[in-house]
Amino acid sequence: MAFNIRADDLVENPTPRVPVSLCIDTSGSMAGEKIRELVAGIGLFYDAIDEDDDAHDSAEVSVVAFNSGAKLVRDFASIEGLQRDITITPSGLTHLGEGVNLALDTLEKRKSLYSDTGVLYFQPWLVLMTDGQPNGDKSELERAIERVTRMVAAKKLTVFPIAIGSDADLAVLARFAPEQPSLRLKGIDFKEFFEWLSKSVAKVSQSMPGGEPSINFSSIRGIEDL
Amino acid sequence: MAVRELLDPIDFVGPSGRLFVDTSVFMDDRPDRRGGLKALLQRCGQAILLNSNPIVIPIDVVEELTKQSRKVDPERAEAIRRAGVAVGFIEDAAALGLVRTDIGHDSKHYADSVFEAIFTRYAKQYDMCLLINDITPLLHVRLLSHTSSKMLVAGSLTSDGRIDIESNQVLYERGVRKLRRKQDEGDAREVAALSPLLADFKGQFGTSEPADRRSGLTVLRSPSPASGVRRRAEPFDGEAAFRGADSSLSVGTIPSVGHKVHFTSPSGSGSVVLDELLGEGGEGAAYAVDGDRVVKIFDRDHVTHHRRAKVEQFASRNLFSEGICFPEAVVTNDAGEFVGYMMPRAHGHEFRVIMNPRRFLKAFPGWTKADLVDVCISFLEKVSYLHSLNVIVGDINPKNVIVDASKNVWMIDADSWQVDGYPCPVGTPMFTSASALGRPYAESLRTNEEELFAIATMLFMILITGQFPYARTGSDGDIARLIKDGNFAFQVGERSNRDQPEGNWKYMWSHMPRALKEMFWNTFHRDGQRYTSPPPAEEWLRAFRQYRWWLGSDKNFDPMSNDVYPFRFKAFKPDTPILECSQCHRPHALVGEWDEATQEHSTPEMCFDCRQQNRPKCSDCGTPRPEGALKDGRCRDCNRKRDYGTCERCGTEKPHRYLIGGRCSKCQLGTCKTCKMPVLKSELTYGRCGACERRAKELDPLRLCTDCRQPFIDFEHIEWFKGKGLDVAKSHVAIKKQCPPRTASTRPASAQRPQGVPRASTTTTKQAAPKQSARSQANLWERMKKWWNV
Repeated sequence: MAFNIRADDLVENPTPRVPVSLCIDTSGSMAGEKIRELVAGIGLFYDAIDEDDDAHDSAEVSVVAFNSGAKLVRDFASIEGLQRDITITPSGLTHLGEGVNLALDTLEKRKSLYSDTGVLYFQPWLVLMTDGQPNGDKSELERAIERVTRMVAAKKLTVFPIAIGSDADLAVLARFAPEQPSLRLKGIDFKEFFEWLSKSVAKVSQSMPGGEPSINFSSIRGIEDL
Repeated sequence: MAVRELLDPIDFVGPSGRLFVDTSVFMDDRPDRRGGLKALLQRCGQAILLNSNPIVIPIDVVEELTKQSRKVDPERAEAIRRAGVAVGFIEDAAALGLVRTDIGHDSKHYADSVFEAIFTRYAKQYDMCLLINDITPLLHVRLLSHTSSKMLVAGSLTSDGRIDIESNQVLYERGVRKLRRKQDEGDAREVAALSPLLADFKGQFGTSEPADRRSGLTVLRSPSPASGVRRRAEPFDGEAAFRGADSSLSVGTIPSVGHKVHFTSPSGSGSVVLDELLGEGGEGAAYAVDGDRVVKIFDRDHVTHHRRAKVEQFASRNLFSEGICFPEAVVTNDAGEFVGYMMPRAHGHEFRVIMNPRRFLKAFPGWTKADLVDVCISFLEKVSYLHSLNVIVGDINPKNVIVDASKNVWMIDADSWQVDGYPCPVGTPMFTSASALGRPYAESLRTNEEELFAIATMLFMILITGQFPYARTGSDGDIARLIKDGNFAFQVGERSNRDQPEGNWKYMWSHMPRALKEMFWNTFHRDGQRYTSPPPAEEWLRAFRQYRWWLGSDKNFDPMSNDVYPFRFKAFKPDTPILECSQCHRPHALVGEWDEATQEHSTPEMCFDCRQQNRPKCSDCGTPRPEGALKDGRCRDCNRKRDYGTCERCGTEKPHRYLIGGRCSKCQLGTCKTCKMPVLKSELTYGRCGACERRAKELDPLRLCTDCRQPFIDFEHIEWFKGKGLDVAKSHVAIKKQCPPRTASTRPASAQRPQGVPRASTTTTKQAAPKQSARSQANLWERMKKWWNV
């Protein structure tokens, strides 16, 4: 029988974690090239984390997809522990509020696991990507916005609302992050965004937890500021 | 390297020196050593009197000689005679002011341990020489000299009064011979003292004697130690005041690969081409030059007054020490502007490879605990030497320390070190003590204690490969909070702690020697004795040398204590049975458990891991649980997690069925029936929010009683009338109340009742009340009738 000191990667890895929650729109409008590029972008994100010495041991990524409902596609896991292949068939509506709430619930669970086992972590990240107008339950959307803004204000979350294409509802996205400009992807250039994201994760992992990682939005090329 | 070296004792009777003589010198009866003490006094007698700095012969030595001289033993007659002569010699020399015997005294110890104590204590203060023939103190002083900026030597006295300093190799061989002899004699005390010392000595000087690696740069010459004695280096000013804020220097070109730069040092100057970019950091870039040298070129923003001053200070002292990347030369661009410095090239990995089990196993697959202890010792020697020069490393962190496969440690990033009042402008929260957290690093000088906290943290994290000392359960990941709380969760002795983090860390901690655990605990725990005064580097050094010796000795009875990653707790006692596991067949995997009742060890069938593995696992969290502890295949915690949720508003845990819209019953929203605003249901009173409820109880100031002309009806009552579609009552009487009592003078004339009956009087009694009420009832009806008739 083989025993491995990394049998339980969560507790045997002392590196402080950076939990990153990707909350992505998989409604019908994302079908075609958009979703292919997005999934490819996530794959590239995984690769970049894997290759980076610092991010490798610290990043933990989850993926939540929302359309006519919300689904946890991948729960938080280290780059070695996670299943990288993701297949998504876009369809249905844009239940953005439900998606964000599920992403936050998943994050809360992970945080309590960290706390229970004595694992250190940095301020978690929520990346919210949509190409449309939210049309789920109104109260769910309000609840999601309230939760996110409350956590951001308490420095318990860093949020990146990303608009995909010109139909995305920037006004709603802006409500998630009133203190920072919302970002709109130019075309469907996910590659550059995820490259930037992985570099930022690496940068946070290099620093020591407790500090305020500076995030330089202006360094994102291929994204225009609105 | 020279096999031996002869030093003149006069170097140690100056004002900054101290000269000591041991018993063994007086008792030395070898013919070739005859006359040594006389020659010694001839050489330096004048200087001793001139400086009033007599030779130190500790009282313990005098006592030992006196004791010897009083013995009666025909076989040792010559030795007894010599001891008597020595006592007389000392008395006379003391009378002349050539020797002093007022130092020392600790009856519990042998004279040589007095020297050990003196040398350890004053290693940073005086250039010291010990005349002695015993090998153990010779080894000790040589080791100590390696981490001190002062000149520390020990040797025997030659017949012409000079000090005979032997090479490392000779000393080591003598030590080993003595150890073997003592082992044969069964002298446990000597063996225990000598073994760790020799192990250290070998690690320090033995096979890896530094060759002169500076052949590539002939213009730069540093004194290289001839016989292993480190030359004295002038320490920096340890009391220098804070120099204030740093400021930029103007600079034209920042050189890069292929550019020629110029270097200046006390031992020479010249030009080199920046060959290869080795790495880029936050402050600049490092380039290889001439093979074994590195030039660090600062970014434009980091070419500052402080950095230039520090580099100049270091370079002017011509410091050289294996494993410390001292700036050797100031580097300028073509315009002669300061841009960086030249230093030796460190080889190896950043300490970060040790700080994570995955990386550690990849980088150093075959290492044992002893190798990690060696790394700690090497690190401590470097730091201890820097401290003896009054250099504070400041930003101690896993990126500023390098380790190679032979366990040699290199200190890099000299330009950030705190020296001569110039602060270390950077820091790492994890290695920052509670007192320094939240303060900008560049705005004040680090204290010794802050430095020592960082050292303790680093040592802990080396031994345990990366776990943070303050990691514990129940935290929200806030490092600063964890440090400030001072809740060191690893337990030692009776001090148990429920917050100990999960994972194999507890096993690694368990296998450390008790004394070291106590040192860590006392340093890190807020209730510890060293919490505000962490142990200095030399104290850690002693503890780690002891640990190194202990690992190789027969005191180390549990084979798993040698592993970097033990997978069970340390066996309790030497006689605890340690067995292979019957299931996984890992050696030493299980240990006996002592049973007080039966007074014997019981041995489990399998190791802890196998027992866990054989248990049913919770289908949600995968934790193995005892039989019968799972309900619906899940453990209690997971069932609770499934069935319970947290109210998103107040955070209370409630069963899901009681959470509506994510909130518990207390946090449910309702609507105030008056103002129609959303309000917490729990804050509604009779359907109204607090504000509306208060208002409801207030009297409407605009509606006055038709009888007494006072406000009489509250808003709630008014709403009631309106709600029923009725006219609002107009007087106290109409709502079954009495007009308030008043004195005649204050009653308005218009309020005179036609009936002339006082509505209320101060004489009203309880018995009268029903009557009165009936009367007002009648009045009301009468008046209403009147209105309707009109």
